[in-house]
Amino acid sequence: MNSVFLLLIITLIFPVVSYLGYLSRIPRLDSAISLANVALALYLYEFIPYVGTFYVDFTTWVFILMVTSIHLLSQVYARSYFQNHKIGIGENLFYLLMGLFTTSMLFSLEINNLGLMWVGIEATTISSALLLMAEKSETSAEATWRYIVIVSAGVTFAFISIILIYYSLGTLQISSILGMKIVPSLTLNVAVAIALIGFGTKVGVFPVHTWLPDAHSEAPSPISAMFSGVLLPTALYVLYRIYQIDPLRDIFVWAGVISVIAASLFLGYQTRYKRMFAYSTMENMNLALIGLAVGGPYGLIGALLLLLSHSFGKAGAFYSSGSILRYTGNKKIEGVHGLWKSMPKTSGALLMSSFAVTGTPPFGTFFGEFLIFYALFSIHYYAQLVILLFFIMAAFISVNYNVTKMVFSGEGEKNGNEDSVMSGIAVLSSVIPLLIGIIYVVVTTVAL
Amino acid sequence: MILTAEDLLIPISSLILITAFYMQGQEFIRPMIRGQFVQSILLAVVSVIMWYLTHDIDFIVLAVLIVVLRGFLITYFLEKGIRKDQVHLHEKHVSVAFPFLISLVFVLTAVLIVYSVVFSSIRIESITGNQGILVFPLALFFQGLFLIASRRTTYAQIMGYIEEENAIVLFAVFLLPIPLLIEASVFLDVLALVVISSVVVLEKFTHERVEELKG
Repeated sequence: MNSVFLLLIITLIFPVVSYLGYLSRIPRLDSAISLANVALALYLYEFIPYVGTFYVDFTTWVFILMVTSIHLLSQVYARSYFQNHKIGIGENLFYLLMGLFTTSMLFSLEINNLGLMWVGIEATTISSALLLMAEKSETSAEATWRYIVIVSAGVTFAFISIILIYYSLGTLQISSILGMKIVPSLTLNVAVAIALIGFGTKVGVFPVHTWLPDAHSEAPSPISAMFSGVLLPTALYVLYRIYQIDPLRDIFVWAGVISVIAASLFLGYQTRYKRMFAYSTMENMNLALIGLAVGGPYGLIGALLLLLSHSFGKAGAFYSSGSILRYTGNKKIEGVHGLWKSMPKTSGALLMSSFAVTGTPPFGTFFGEFLIFYALFSIHYYAQLVILLFFIMAAFISVNYNVTKMVFSGEGEKNGNEDSVMSGIAVLSSVIPLLIGIIYVVVTTVAL
Repeated sequence: MILTAEDLLIPISSLILITAFYMQGQEFIRPMIRGQFVQSILLAVVSVIMWYLTHDIDFIVLAVLIVVLRGFLITYFLEKGIRKDQVHLHEKHVSVAFPFLISLVFVLTAVLIVYSVVFSSIRIESITGNQGILVFPLALFFQGLFLIASRRTTYAQIMGYIEEENAIVLFAVFLLPIPLLIEASVFLDVLALVVISSVVVLEKFTHERVEELKG
């Protein structure tokens, strides 16, 4: 058996094995296994591109790294988050589903078949739906139901696209399709356009994004972090592979631009902080969609840089939000004051992650967005560029205004009871996008 | 005149569509569940006819899966959720006649648009060589969507979702034989619907606007 194949199989099963580590009751064994999976994902870089049962190139590798890392962080965070707090679905089931959720995302990324990728995406819905209900409130049950109905309807729609692709090309193997000299046909155009709506439901493309704010705001914070940080990018990856078959650039770019406009407008009147971060995810995913659609070295690298930095930044934002929710019991922006006094570490992480997800320099997201804009400029998409610049500015103001208000306005109790693990994970997640930005600057400077 | 197996596909597909409209017109939950059962069995019959036409054994596997999983297992779990004293369980404050008419208009319009815009420009041929037969899965798909949108109970929305899945299976069965994928989707549906939906049914029977989920 090929060693790379074996390595990829191990990355797939380790998230579930980490659950067995949890069951063994050996302290932190589950986290150690997940950490090993991150190390394996890094080691995988040596063997790319790999083509066989799995298909892993540089783009895939970046996504695998994101998924394994955010799974590790969420797992460690969840152990503290659920301490002394009754969980609705049973702790054992929660960690099992978390493992299966991660495995299904990794499967969707690694497998060399569009049909099985679709199966993987469907599996992410199944494994994540009950995780969303973990808080077991009336609202979370409603959010879960909306998630199941809207996303399942969308992914079912995407299956039509898969059928049409197979009908047109006679294969669903990605490596074969990418190696073909494809003559675009109207059938393929329809297939790719349907994929934009179908998989776009899970990516957060307007107007099929409506499950997104509900699910993100009602899920427990470690799961919100996984949704925002890696589930949506995984769906975006599958959409990108389909886009490569028959690039409908204008349609994809305009869909992205309209979605960014919508997200920015929604951000303007949000009253709950987790919901606000959910709309920020919609904005970032669609910027990445534009980058992938424009393509070329700038578009692709820009999108990957943005997605990688965003996954950690947004995870940090949701980890901080979870700590704040635990401490204040309030989901509303207006109900949270003076965090810098009561929760200094968490508020620092919240501020940093807020800067990270809004593309503030020198965070990695800033360079990602810059490269995407440059790619747009280089293909003379000036109207789209101007619109985007205006609306991401509006989104920047909305998010950072609300976050700074929560951190600095009013008087909070001095030194509230901050959980060191939760705040530590939030700080770590929010610092990583900064490091990515610095590394990018150093690497490009050396290369030049 | 000798009736061929192919000739049976159109009347059976029409029956599938009729079950969909029957479910749309139902106020009570139990008849809807039984409508879904009949629809799934009819879908299995289509799969058997396709086996007869193509001699591809995968169609028989698919038919068996549909009967066991969709026909019996899902029906059993959904009916199990209704207590004995809830035989007349129904959706309150819902008018059935008006949405039923709207659904007819919606489905007709949607299918007409798809045919005039898409199928007039591209040539998609079914296995039987008859492009017109694809109208049934398309109409079923739109009807499933409308059922989800027009109802507020978890049961009715699950039924709409199953209709959509049935439409996709019918579409794939008519268009090209990729049964492995279809079987995978059927398997996943069962996991999703039986495991998750039964949990949600227990938690929430109807779905109204929630203040915290606005905006």
